[in-house]
Amino acid sequence: MAKGKTQKPGQTAEVRAKSREKLRFLAEMEPKKMITYPLVVFIVALLLLAVHFPPLGIDLKGGVVVTGEGISANPDQLEKELSGKLGLEVHVESFTSVSGSKGIRVYAPAGTDPQKIIDILKEKYPNADFTHSEVQPTFGEMAKKQGMRAIIFAFIAMAVVVFLFFRNPVSSLAIIFSALSDMTIAVAVMGIFRIQLTTATIAALLMLIGYTVDSNILLTTKLTKRKEDTIEEAYLSAVSTGFTMSTTTLGALLMLWIISTSPVLDNIAAVLIFGLLADFMNTWIFNAGVLRWYLSRGVEL
Amino acid sequence: MNRKLKRILLNWKVLLLILFLIGSIGSLYARGLTFGIDISGGVALIAQTEEPVDSKTMELVVDSLQKRLNTFGLRDISVEGQGNSIVVVKVANVSSTEEANQLKQVIESQGVFFMEFNGVVFGTGKDITYVGPYEIKPDNSWAVPFRISKSAAEKFAELAKGKAGWPVDMFLDPPVNSLLVVPQDVFITMNGTAFNAGAPDAPPLALRIKKALNITTVMYTNQSARELKEIANGKTIVLAGVPRELYDQLKAMNVSVKYIQSEAGTDTTTFVKEILGLYGPYSLGEGLANGVPQTDVQITGHAANRVKAEREAKTVYTVLKSGSLPVKLRVISMEFISPKLGQDFKNQALYAGLAALVAVLLIVYFHYRNWKIAIPVASTSLFEVIIILGIAALIKWNLDLPSIAGIIAAIGTGVDQQVVITDELLGGERSARITRRAGALKRIGRAFFIIFASAATTIAAMSFLLVYFVGTLKGFAVTTIIGVLIGIFVTRPAYAEVARYLIGEE
Repeated sequence: MAKGKTQKPGQTAEVRAKSREKLRFLAEMEPKKMITYPLVVFIVALLLLAVHFPPLGIDLKGGVVVTGEGISANPDQLEKELSGKLGLEVHVESFTSVSGSKGIRVYAPAGTDPQKIIDILKEKYPNADFTHSEVQPTFGEMAKKQGMRAIIFAFIAMAVVVFLFFRNPVSSLAIIFSALSDMTIAVAVMGIFRIQLTTATIAALLMLIGYTVDSNILLTTKLTKRKEDTIEEAYLSAVSTGFTMSTTTLGALLMLWIISTSPVLDNIAAVLIFGLLADFMNTWIFNAGVLRWYLSRGVEL
Repeated sequence: MNRKLKRILLNWKVLLLILFLIGSIGSLYARGLTFGIDISGGVALIAQTEEPVDSKTMELVVDSLQKRLNTFGLRDISVEGQGNSIVVVKVANVSSTEEANQLKQVIESQGVFFMEFNGVVFGTGKDITYVGPYEIKPDNSWAVPFRISKSAAEKFAELAKGKAGWPVDMFLDPPVNSLLVVPQDVFITMNGTAFNAGAPDAPPLALRIKKALNITTVMYTNQSARELKEIANGKTIVLAGVPRELYDQLKAMNVSVKYIQSEAGTDTTTFVKEILGLYGPYSLGEGLANGVPQTDVQITGHAANRVKAEREAKTVYTVLKSGSLPVKLRVISMEFISPKLGQDFKNQALYAGLAALVAVLLIVYFHYRNWKIAIPVASTSLFEVIIILGIAALIKWNLDLPSIAGIIAAIGTGVDQQVVITDELLGGERSARITRRAGALKRIGRAFFIIFASAATTIAAMSFLLVYFVGTLKGFAVTTIIGVLIGIFVTRPAYAEVARYLIGEE
């Protein structure tokens, strides 16, 4: 084997080794602590949800949205003006697109005629471009039910697949709990940032099921199937791989979130980002804690 | 070196990837991408049937709507029935909110058509055998000529004999079998001669609709909701231009009730026509009162300006032509995206996709400090996107925003799994330099166990989205599933081969 050719991978391995060193503190944590902290975060997330559930988007509760592109306005002022003219409460948001053009979104209760809002806006901003959508509360009800059903079934399907792959209750349950906690935390953070629960964000939560299981599967496989390394070594190698995985995905999603002004794309990206961050803790701290504690008892997985 | 390069290029996994890439580029070139209405601009409507229907009826509804919208002069329409009560209608190339709202009206008008004379229904929508092109006259009056069946014409001739000048009424979706509650002025107008087309002997409109359609008209004199419920005696109550509170109260009492608002500036006769879906009344011509059946008739009207005249004529024409829907539809969700905004979204998605690829390239480089890893990882992701798009073009999948989100999410998972492969190949700290072929194979096998397991979970989760979600999010599930399948069968195996060549085996 020519030495010249191995030089690069050798360097790469050194870089990996360094990053592994940085992550060593995780490997040195006590398994009990590794299990406790994420559990506390999960319970806090549950409590947060109880008091501060994310607002429902119009496609889940019904309502009207009018989007005007090419309008540069103070949203609070416009909100007052529109509410006064229409005789009902509206909510106005502003946004800037990547090309620099500004726009506003007007949210009104179900049953409002979007044309009336557009007519008023058109008088003030004749050059703006308008788009609207309206959803009846009955559709919202249906979408809510379907969303719940889709999430529950998807979760069960995921759990079944995980069981089939690992055939061990402890490691499977740890993965399933991680995914549950990821979703719970993501929804709780949505509540904090007032990101609406919509059909799009429900889809993102479903996506999260697929995403987060990835890293958990990696961890479980490495810890239980790689017999030639020590547990600590296997954990470190898994965590450094996981770190690379998460940061690249986060990078891609961050780009989507920064560049798009479409609420659909923005919200999907945001929810996935929250979920991935939560997953980092749940996989590499909680799930790893469970597995290390379990393996330290000398049980064969 | 060259020999090795040749060997890697001739590896069947790599060949498969190249084949898919060429096929995708060909498919993109030949068929092009089609975009969803949230990108190309247009209207997406979700309508619900009044009650659940069987699959046969659903088929009929879809067919009839398709025809009706086609007659309306629209192209690029897709009508799709979902489940037993949902119809999704997507129409591209709609450029104004007015047009969008008109579409909603057409979908919601069931188009039950009645022709009535002297309190007798002599024909319905089924009796219409031909509809001619509508005409607009310079004074903004319009006419839609049509032909009725022989039996309807005969019945009519008998009814109309000797009653020249009497009113002929036509109704589109009148509130049959109902109690109509109206304010005093409307009540008086309906019971007077305003709708008699100048024939004082003919029965007033209120009487005609009572006899023909079982619509009882009562004047609103501050009756309570309870009193109205008693008078209605089980019939639907239609509140027109009376206090809105009554609607809520009746609704709370579980009474079937409809509310029709009187728009400011509408005169009483126009309001009555709106409530009843009344076209006419048309004065019976001398030529039709002689007892001789006549099959060629027409509906005429008058509007404030040419645009409105055209719109009215077109609506009547469409409804006459496409017949009645077997069940009434209600639009429960409507989304209108202007083509310009859609174009912006498309550009953003394109930039976001490219930026995501660049981000992946840089982050992977940062992690490994090795372009030999970063470039193959990022290009594999790029290839994956090209293949997903190629398949979308091939199956004529309409790319909408959720589909694009799915593609970008696929970049995310794809990279994850390539990182898993790379790290398995790099191996542990010390073993990196001594990784041998057998070791590499074993490691790749382990990487693929992880990849298959996570692919299986993603597909399982997404399948439920595909099956259980109504409306517009199916695209997300479809592109994600395509992405995952392409990933496990085509791109990841090829990447593993290339990566083994570049970092593992040397």
